[in-house]
Formats: sequence, C-alpha cells, structure tokens
Amino acid sequence: MLAALAAVPVLIALAVRLSSRDPGPGQGPPFLDRVSQNGLFIALTGMVVSIPLFLPLTVSVAAGDTIAGEAGHGTLRYLLAAPAGRVRLLAVKYAAAVVFCLAAALSVATAGVLIGSALFDVGPITLLSGDTISVGESLLRLFLVACYVGLSLLGLAAIGLFISTLTEVPVGAMAATAVLAVVSQILDNLPQLEWLHPWLFSHHWLGFADLLRQPISWDSFAANGLLQGGYIVVFCGLAYSRFATKDVLS
Amino acid sequence: MTPVWKRWLPAAVVPAVIAGGAVLGAVQAGAATDLPDKTPQEVLEMVADSSVRSLSGTVEQTSELGLPQLPTDGPSAESDASSGVPSGVASALELLGGSHTARVYLDGHSQARVQVMDRLAERDVIRNGRDVWFYSSKQNAATHLILPEYSESEGHHSDKAWTPESLSEHFLSSVEPSTEVTVGSDSEVAGRAAYELVLTPDSSETLVGSVSIAVDSETGLPLSVDVQARGQDAPAFEVGFTELSLEAPSDDLFNFTPPPGATVTERVVEDHHAKHAQGDHGDRHQGDGKHDKDYTKYGSGWETVIGLPADEVPAELMDSPLIAETAQEVDGGRLLSSALVNVLVTDDGRAFAGSVPLERLQAAAEGR
Repeated sequence: MLAALAAVPVLIALAVRLSSRDPGPGQGPPFLDRVSQNGLFIALTGMVVSIPLFLPLTVSVAAGDTIAGEAGHGTLRYLLAAPAGRVRLLAVKYAAAVVFCLAAALSVATAGVLIGSALFDVGPITLLSGDTISVGESLLRLFLVACYVGLSLLGLAAIGLFISTLTEVPVGAMAATAVLAVVSQILDNLPQLEWLHPWLFSHHWLGFADLLRQPISWDSFAANGLLQGGYIVVFCGLAYSRFATKDVLS
Repeated sequence: MTPVWKRWLPAAVVPAVIAGGAVLGAVQAGAATDLPDKTPQEVLEMVADSSVRSLSGTVEQTSELGLPQLPTDGPSAESDASSGVPSGVASALELLGGSHTARVYLDGHSQARVQVMDRLAERDVIRNGRDVWFYSSKQNAATHLILPEYSESEGHHSDKAWTPESLSEHFLSSVEPSTEVTVGSDSEVAGRAAYELVLTPDSSETLVGSVSIAVDSETGLPLSVDVQARGQDAPAFEVGFTELSLEAPSDDLFNFTPPPGATVTERVVEDHHAKHAQGDHGDRHQGDGKHDKDYTKYGSGWETVIGLPADEVPAELMDSPLIAETAQEVDGGRLLSSALVNVLVTDDGRAFAGSVPLERLQAAAEGR
C-alpha cells in the first residue's frame, strides 16, 4: 500500500516531465505549475492529490483490518488465548495503525522529493507568502507537512479501529471507514452545514498550507491536533467498550 | 469479571467530558469583563490618543451580506473570465463576501504586511517605506508599486487600510447629530478587555441597524467592528482581531523580493498630492478622473444616496451573467440588493447606490 501511495507523486512527475506544455499559473492541482522549475513541489502536489482519497483509503484499509482481519482469519481467539489481554491487543493494533498513518504521509513526501530531484532541478522553494527559503529548510517544512498529514489521519484510524471491532468481515470495516472519510469531506463542502464543519475530522486536512507560510502559522496544527485527539479518545473508548464486551467466537 | 455496563463507561464518559469542556469553554469566553465606566466621549478620546504603531495579529472577517457566494476554490482564472466580471472587481467582491482570515503586521508608519490566508494559497500586501508589493501565490504574480515621496513621512492612510482601526475611524468621522452614540457592555476581544462603542442611526430610512466598535481598554486601539443590518440577526459585516500582540514584528517580514519564476509588474503611482498642491483645483476632474467621478449626492447622513450618470456606469457591468443573475427587476430599473447596500441601475443606464431602502433610490432616480 505504501508503494501504491509512493506511485502518486511518481506519476505526476512523469506526466509533467513528458508533457510538452507547462501548466499555466493557477491551473491543475495547487503547486503543479511550479513543478517544472523546482522538483520539490512534486511532494506537495502529491500530498494535495492524495489527501482527499488515496491516503484515507489506505488508512481505512489498515485500520479496518486491525480486529476484523484477525476475526476473519479466525486467529483472533488464539491471540486472546495468549495471556495478552484485550486492552493490550487493541492498543498494539491502534499503535500499528498510527505508525501506518505517519509512514503513509512520509512515503508520499519522500517519493515526491526523490522523483522530483531525479527529473527536475531542485532549488530554494517559494512559500505561499512569496518568501523564498533554502533547500534544507524546505526539506524540514516538507517533513512537518508529512507529520501534519499523518496526524490528520489519526482520527480516521481510530474510527476504523472502532468499526473493525463491530464486525468479523474486514472488507466491510474497510469500506465503511473509507465511506465515512468521503462523507465527512462532502459535508465539509456544504455551506449550509457550517456549524458542523469544525467538528468534522476532515476539516483541517488541507490546513498543512499554514506550514508553508512565512512565518509559520501553528494555529491549524494545534486545532487539528486537538480535534484528532478528541476523535482518538472518543473512538478508542468506544472500541475498548465494544471489544471488551464482545463474545469472540472466531 | 467486571459487569458489562462498567466496560461501556469509557465510551459514555469521554464524550460527556468533551461536551462539558466545550460548553465550559464557551461560557468562559462569554464571561463578562468589568471595566470602570466611561462616557462615549472618553472612549472616543482614547481612540484618538491611541499610539499603537507596531503590532502583529490575526484578523478575521465574516460577512452575511446576502450576496451570492463567489467560487473561492477551483480554477479562478477561468471562472473570472466566464462570469464577465473584471478580475479586480471580482476579487474585491470576494474579499467583502464570505469569511477571511488575515495576518497583519505593522511597524511604525511605513512598514506593513497583510497576508490574506486562503485555502492552499495566500495574497500578500507588503509595504516597506516607498515600496509596495502585491503578491498572489495562486497566480505566482507580483506587482511592485513605488509610492510618491511624501508618503514616507506622512502617509498614514495606506498602512491601516485593512485593520479595524481604519474602519472605525471612518465611522467615527460620520458621528454627527444623526447618530446616537452609547457605550455598551464591556466585552473581550482577542483576549483583551474592551469597551464597546455602539452607534445607532436615528433615521429609520437606512439599512444599517447599528455599528459596534470594540475599543481596547488599555491602548485605545479599536479591536473589532461589527455592522448590524436591520432585520437580520447575524452581523452583516464583522472584522476583528482574534489574536493580537503589540510587540514590533521582525524586520525580515517587510523585506520582500519577488520569488524566482514569478511574473512581476512594475507600476509607479503618480504624485496626486504634489499635483494638487501646485495646480489649481479647478481641473481636478480632468487630471485624475478615475478618482473624482461626477456624481450627485442626495440626502445626508445615513440616508445619503450617490447617483452616477449613465456615461460613468460601465455598460457591460449589467450584461455580465453573474450580475444579471443577482439583479432583480424593479420599477424603473434593476436592483442589486444586499443587507447593507442597495444599488439601483435605471433603464437609461444611471446608477444609484446607498445604504437605504429601494423606495429612496427610486425617488432619487425620479429626481424627487
């Protein structure tokens, strides 16, 4: 799955490299017009393109598979027969999902930087504010962006963990989680539901742009952290309650 | 084995705690602050005395003008072209409608930077002495203006252009017999205790219900402005600081060099002041006609109606699909209506605008 994610920036880079015409300013996904001048922007374009669907999809697969996957293989009861305890199993499973979220975001960024520096020139990067920063600092900012995106997905991973405890069919849990991610983004775009927007877990997903301003605006990082923390606590609590009371038959 | 219901406790307790925290936070934010009472006159003096020249803060603006929302996402270049509205007008309308967050940095009279933070984009205005830069990250385009000499020493208009300070000064200058000025209950804006100055028009012939200005109790700096429209619960226009620090921002912020690859447009601003000082004011209208149009004023105070003759109104304005869709047919022309301002374009091409009900615009159009 990480390889599939890494393919996103690679595909974009190849498409830009092979096309004869440069995209004009403001055309296509954000940052695409800068790519031919500076390869580092591939990582950002890749991130913008993956956030709405590819990243939530892979995270849904990883998180939906946690408990339901073991149940589906019939291995869950053997895991619980070992003196490990249900809480510990749940914690380990969620920790694995968290690691996957961060790895997924980092793999998009890393693949973008690698393919960008292989196919295009790499130079000082222009921030949204119009200021220019050195390559070293650009890489640091990209790392922060990847951390932000990874953090943004933790709430979704917690939801996936909860749904995974509800069923023994892993595909059902994965699909339900992915659908929720899409529904949340659709709701976030309806102006009639404005009161709901700050509570949606996808609300700050594109807020990583605040890390590309000069000076960095940490507001959305903090707001996002708080929101994702809330989702983690609520859904891990639900997952614990459900899993601790569940009759494990498979 | 613990009973089943106990295992469901975390699932019930956690959301309850979060909801409780959210409610508590909201209550604390609304908690009344208590400041020594002041008369409107004293609060106005505080504003006039305010000596804050350096600050960095975040300004949030929201408006409920009842105008259709312009698309802010997506390829704006194309939508501008298809809607037929000149892009300058469209971006001005876009800034007025909807919500925006901007960071504002001021240092002294001649250094300022405003960053309008859009989704995945940013628009910047940077002023450093005589150099003014506009930068839009979406178009990756920069415009460079060089201001005339005088503005370095006495130009204190442009560096306040979008802060609450400039807006409230505009309203304070219109304080006259037609307005009732009171001091409302103390409030808290951007974490600072503030007096609230409320201006209520005496006239019932205006769309403006009231204007309230929050004035910082320590420095006299206006912190927020809300304009209430008649017959609307939500403020029609609201701009205010959400974060404010009175320390001088770092100097690097005001040094702007256009990024490599950006399209740069150079412009020189003509020195209007010098021209006015030496030339006679008689030929003002020919000299810089763009700024001094031939308009007629009807009424006074809150009920003022501005009338433009047909040759000053761009004919293609009403033909653009965006405006044609918004305008509604009324007696004698077409009406562009918003919560605070009505614009009537008559059938013979004249335009009348004012913060007044339609009937007054029609009366002005008929020459009454």
